[in-house]
Amino acid sequence: MTSTPSSNGLRASRQRSVPWQALVDAAMLLLWGLMLLRFTVTGKLYLLLHPDYMWLAHLAMVLLLAMGVSRLVQVGLSYRQGTGQTIRSQEHTALLPRQFSVALLIAIAVFGLVYTPRPFASETAFQRGITDVLGQTRSRPQRFSLGGASEERTIVDWVRTLNVYPEPDAYAGQTAQVSGFVTHIPGWPDEFVMISRFVLTCCAADAYPVGLPVELPAGTARPAPDTWLEVKGKMQTSTLDGKRQLVIGDPTLTEIPEPRTPYEY
Amino acid sequence: MTQLNNGITLFFSLLVEAMPFLLLGVMFSSVLLLFVDEQKLLAVIPKNVVLAALAGSLIGFLFPVCECGNIPVARRLLTKGAPTAVAIGFLLAAPTVNPVVFWATWIAFRDQPEIVFLRVGFTLIVAVTIALIFSAQADVRPFLQDSLTRMMGEPEPATPVPAEAEISPLLKSGTFLMQSPGQVLQLDAPPAQVLAQVAVAAPPMVTRLRMMVDNMVLELRELGAVLVIGSAIAAFVQVAVPREVILGLGQGPVTSIVAMMALAWVVSICSTVDSFFALSFASTFTSGSLLAFLVFGPMIDLKNISLLLTVFKGRAILYLFVLAAQLVFLLALVMNLYTS
Repeated sequence: MTSTPSSNGLRASRQRSVPWQALVDAAMLLLWGLMLLRFTVTGKLYLLLHPDYMWLAHLAMVLLLAMGVSRLVQVGLSYRQGTGQTIRSQEHTALLPRQFSVALLIAIAVFGLVYTPRPFASETAFQRGITDVLGQTRSRPQRFSLGGASEERTIVDWVRTLNVYPEPDAYAGQTAQVSGFVTHIPGWPDEFVMISRFVLTCCAADAYPVGLPVELPAGTARPAPDTWLEVKGKMQTSTLDGKRQLVIGDPTLTEIPEPRTPYEY
Repeated sequence: MTQLNNGITLFFSLLVEAMPFLLLGVMFSSVLLLFVDEQKLLAVIPKNVVLAALAGSLIGFLFPVCECGNIPVARRLLTKGAPTAVAIGFLLAAPTVNPVVFWATWIAFRDQPEIVFLRVGFTLIVAVTIALIFSAQADVRPFLQDSLTRMMGEPEPATPVPAEAEISPLLKSGTFLMQSPGQVLQLDAPPAQVLAQVAVAAPPMVTRLRMMVDNMVLELRELGAVLVIGSAIAAFVQVAVPREVILGLGQGPVTSIVAMMALAWVVSICSTVDSFFALSFASTFTSGSLLAFLVFGPMIDLKNISLLLTVFKGRAILYLFVLAAQLVFLLALVMNLYTS
């Protein structure tokens, strides 16, 4: 398996050869561990995973780094002793040539160390079906209660509440204070935009968008799509797409930077 | 550009999600190699093929690994001479029939407990049936990758042979090494068996730990590379095929099942978390189609096809895929037609 000479007894002298393969393996493990470490430290792990599953990624990070370090220590020890120990292999590569696997894994880890994942935005929201305000949310509340102050509800809280009790008039006059990114829905009048968020249940692969319509005050320019806003207003009922819908009316819009955790859960 | 960014983000998301499970699976598989005597485990597995298939399907309860992690274990079981029924049963059922997944499904579908129990039941039915179908072929090796068959050695003869203890090892043909009186090592046995015989003289703990790490690195290198390729394909398909196309297919009793199975195949989500994903469709899709998603997804999806290729040849994966798809479809359809 290694590039070290096979210990077939023909070599009388113990030769000090650098076990390149073990070093490359160690580099691969360390790079993967570092990639996960970078995602963790920069907070980009929040764009990839639900917080509940982050401990798994952290566990993987620790394991990979530990394996990489132990591999380096092993190489160092055997090199110092001059034994040039070969790494025992139980099997040969089944599908891909070894060099290819290692090269691919190292390349991906390096890419992960330089590439910054980006949160999903309005284009993806369309693709994943934002248009239905009463979209599917993943939790099904066992009972319906309007506990807590209405301005503390997030977009997903509103949508979940609406799923349980869809009559928009029930919420008339309640204060809403939500933050999200702007999505322009085709076919809506110019004074309406959707304030949206993505909801994650496990990882980015199943992120789904939720949103609430916002009626802009007269004379306000439409904010560009993907602008992050904090919207504070009063709930009202408007007719959009021929449906009576809950809309945030008379809003004050404050532009905010993209949050560190752009998804809701 | 946005699509590309989304694709890459999805790709890393799948990798970061699957890597811990792959690590756990590889670690478990290495522990199995060096610290557990599978011969003993396999010895307690019943000889009856139906019971063996059932036993293989239930082994997952001992080893909670999801579909990324169970393939190295199934591979290891095969090299240790496990019957086909056991290995296939384990391969198909272990990702679903284990405490972690059961718990996750229970959390998600607390208000529909039938989903939780039927998920386990349907998985067992499908896994045992396919295991029996594969067992009908006495020698499964034509289905397996050559590198694996080299490790496995000769198939068990169909006719019962006298037990090992009755034959002195010296009455067998082959090349032997006398280790100590009464201890004989057959050198031309398949590598996995030589390894097993050598392992009898248990190496010191430090050596065993080192061998374990060596083996983990080896498997991680190989399976990690195919996981990367699989995740890349899954991310590409997710970004390239609009979800509306897949979702638009399904409202009826038949089309919803087909749509959910297609979705399970495309999304390639880990079995430990797929119940939360399925929950989002709970109010729009039929219960049968949700079950189809939960049973079919962990068995075969885009991500693990590349991993399956480390064990099986393409033809066998096609058989597995078709059989699993048909059985899951039938069970889900029965559920839709008779229990709605």
